[in-house]
Amino acid sequence: MKNVIYYLFTLLAMNSVFGQRDSVIVLQEVVLSDSKLQQFSDGIKVRVLDDTELQRNKGMLTNNLQFNTPIYFKENGYGMVSSASFRGTSAQQTAVVWNGININSQLTGQTDFNTIMAQNLNEITVRSGGGSTQYGTGAIGGSIHVNQNLLFDQPLVNQLQFGYGSFDTSSLFYNAGWGTEKSSINIGIGHLSSSNDYKYLDTNRRNENGAFANQNVDIAFGTLLSAANLLKFYHNTFIGDRDFSGTLTAPSNDNYQDLNTRSLLEWTHFKTNKVQRVKAAYLTERYRYYANKERDEFSFGKSGSVLLNYDYLYRHKNWKFNGVVEANNVNAAGSSIRDEDRNRLAGILLISHTPSDAFSYGIDVRKDWVSDFESPFVFSMDMKYNITETYTVYLNASKNYRIPTFNDLYWEGAGSAGNLELLPETSLQTEIGQTIKTKDYSLSLNAFYIATSDLIQWRPDISGNWSPINIKDVTQYGLEFETDIRKEIGEHYLTWKNSYAFTKAIDNESTKQLIYVPFHKVTSNLAYSYKKWSSFIQGLYNGEVFTTTDNNQNLQDYFVLNAGLNYSFPKKWGIAIETQIAINNILNENYQNVAFRPMPNRNIHLNLNFKF
Amino acid sequence: MNIKHVVSILAIGLVITSCENDDNSPVLPSGDYVDGILISNEGPFSNGTGTVSFISNDLETVESAIYNQVNTEDLGNIVQSIGFTDDKAFIVANNSNTIAVVDRFTFKKEAVISTGLNNPRYFISVNGKGYVTNWGDSADETDDYVAIINLTTNVVEGTIPVDFGPEEIINRANTIYVAHQGGFGQNNKISVIDSGTNEVSTTITVGDVPKAIQLDGSNTLWVLSAGKPSFTGEETAGSLSKINTTTNEVETTFDFTTTEHPNHLGYDGTNLYYTLDGAVYSMSASATELPTAKAFDGVGTYAMTVEDGRLYTTDAKDFASDGSLSIYDINTKAEIKTIAVGIIPGGIYFN
Repeated sequence: MKNVIYYLFTLLAMNSVFGQRDSVIVLQEVVLSDSKLQQFSDGIKVRVLDDTELQRNKGMLTNNLQFNTPIYFKENGYGMVSSASFRGTSAQQTAVVWNGININSQLTGQTDFNTIMAQNLNEITVRSGGGSTQYGTGAIGGSIHVNQNLLFDQPLVNQLQFGYGSFDTSSLFYNAGWGTEKSSINIGIGHLSSSNDYKYLDTNRRNENGAFANQNVDIAFGTLLSAANLLKFYHNTFIGDRDFSGTLTAPSNDNYQDLNTRSLLEWTHFKTNKVQRVKAAYLTERYRYYANKERDEFSFGKSGSVLLNYDYLYRHKNWKFNGVVEANNVNAAGSSIRDEDRNRLAGILLISHTPSDAFSYGIDVRKDWVSDFESPFVFSMDMKYNITETYTVYLNASKNYRIPTFNDLYWEGAGSAGNLELLPETSLQTEIGQTIKTKDYSLSLNAFYIATSDLIQWRPDISGNWSPINIKDVTQYGLEFETDIRKEIGEHYLTWKNSYAFTKAIDNESTKQLIYVPFHKVTSNLAYSYKKWSSFIQGLYNGEVFTTTDNNQNLQDYFVLNAGLNYSFPKKWGIAIETQIAINNILNENYQNVAFRPMPNRNIHLNLNFKF
Repeated sequence: MNIKHVVSILAIGLVITSCENDDNSPVLPSGDYVDGILISNEGPFSNGTGTVSFISNDLETVESAIYNQVNTEDLGNIVQSIGFTDDKAFIVANNSNTIAVVDRFTFKKEAVISTGLNNPRYFISVNGKGYVTNWGDSADETDDYVAIINLTTNVVEGTIPVDFGPEEIINRANTIYVAHQGGFGQNNKISVIDSGTNEVSTTITVGDVPKAIQLDGSNTLWVLSAGKPSFTGEETAGSLSKINTTTNEVETTFDFTTTEHPNHLGYDGTNLYYTLDGAVYSMSASATELPTAKAFDGVGTYAMTVEDGRLYTTDAKDFASDGSLSIYDINTKAEIKTIAVGIIPGGIYFN
């Protein structure tokens, strides 16, 4: 694992501003496929989870985000289906973006955060607030960016990690990266499995039928065809095989299998003042759900999505213009989903202007034309003003949307049916943020307001048949306060990151808080390293959440504490070995983030990491 | 929406209620829950517990989650229905595959039956035994059965294999009638079981999806069938069948129009009551055609029954918050009271 200095370095690299531009800098920019994140998010809160942070929580992406960000996760038991509530919004209102491409399920509109493996990725970026102009549907609460990095001009580095721990949890992660001046390749393989039969605290029962085994492959390849032409290829395959655990009141013998693939081929032609990209992507998802895993019957759903994208970025003096045209065909089908196609054409224009070193602003507009419903015109405006060298103010406002999914439109099942009359959910939102950033610490305070109309919910009609309708208007507002303190004394390095979020998510009609949105969430991560030793302690406080829409029933607040200790052995025969012992839920807190689905008791994990 | 949610849509969409009334105890009972109304609340589908609410006969006292209050434990997931003997109540938790056996007037737990049940739906006591309809595995149309329960030991002591999707169950003179709604699919049968031999003696074909059954005072079994819904691609009309319980043959069938899918069936000694598209209709048991006028309109129809000149209906609202019970005077049509009950109130019983 990288040390704190490396972390500081990447942090500075992220903040690189463009002044003097040469082709090396341009290359650095174009290597990242999700270029908007750097180029057109000036007035947006963007938080990077680096490798060190990602390595603290060895599970799936849920774990990484839960302990480091204000996002609330609803897990149907550990490792099971996990959905996010970002700034009090719904699971479909958080977009997950893989190398610049929105990968939320075409069937459900959301991403199961226990199907994303982050261990082989160098970083995860959390972009808070509206982002539909850039990332399309679902970027209302915010977006999570999963990017694969390409490093040119670096020797072959292999990293092999073995982990074993409580509940028969075993993991294997292998990652190899190699780059010449012209080409770079990175391959990651991940495996995580667990019997997951943790004890339900204060009962004599265990988490039954909760075993899972997840496999993941990441490939990234880039080659410079010439000084101005870069060809890149990215691929991800995730294979999940999970028994779905029961609840405190009902047993389960369900099984669920996922197979998701994502491939992206991108050609980039770049000069100092213009960058053209042509992207072709193919995404597939398929699931099989066995209501009884002892039997052969299963229900399934699948989708395939072909995407073509042309992207032109032009710089003129202190202006940036970025036009994008995107064509997309999606086909989906399933045991209860009518076989249907959706065609979509999108036009996007992003403008960013930096009149002075201290001030920049941007305006984005986007319109999608979709074959099966009317998609709204959306826009966003953002600005950033460095009032002093350390004090910056951000402001943004945007209109965003979440489109009806294939389930919403084309479901055909017992007692339920999709609704072709659905409108997209739309939101109007605004945010003000301020940061103080010095060498030793940073503080940020953000206030947001989101008004969402036409929320889609499934309800029975007068004769008892369930169908989705645009039924609800909701309002979310709140505050996020984050601190990041770094201290270095001799060989002692200390970092301490904290976040606190206050969230109100109100149903406009009933004026009740939406279910599964905590008013308060706190995360705290304290890391300390000295010579060959490093350690961390992380805490998560989650306030009470309501589990019924009348707010009559709730889940109690909880506090979960994790800690870990690492030791790096001196390098021998070219192999660096690091060991880690991590203890999760040290206090043995009995907690649930979905009602009647207890989460794990205290558990211990050992990890061995070879780097060569 | 995850897959559980999808399953919940399937399941919730098909749930109906029992309107059975078994209130003829010879000895004056005692306990906190004498002389009142019991409401079984299914509870949230994918995770959680159902509950039972108690409402005193004067409608002044309301207690929620009485089983949990008395026994400090949860009933189980999807409380489908309650069946009774003279002194006990049998609370069927469908998704938990359990039946909680309680004193019907104190609600003190006496046993939990947790083996021998697979997707249990409705309970009835006949001739000193308990009979419970079970879907078995919902994907298997050949493993459905009626479980026979020894009421002394509270153990499943036998099974009667039946056609698929057994739902409501009713008793007339030790002959048991089981309506085969069809589980997650559709069926159109009534099984007739002889409680002396515990065998199916005959099967009667009725309209598609028989959802509710009632006996009237004159040897007649009424079966309300909803018809196949439109999503099946072969939508059929709802129907009301009149079966002679001496011959076990259908005497008359009243057909609805193809897109009409009625539900629930109540009987108050003179008239039958059913729900259709958010309204309640009433017809005389001697009528020769279906009524056209609504008796009540714009009422909750998640569950419905009639008793002593009153109409009882429940509203499940958004299925994620407490529902309500509304009580109306059948003669004046006036609403007497609306009372908050538990999540997804699916059964109305009189203690």
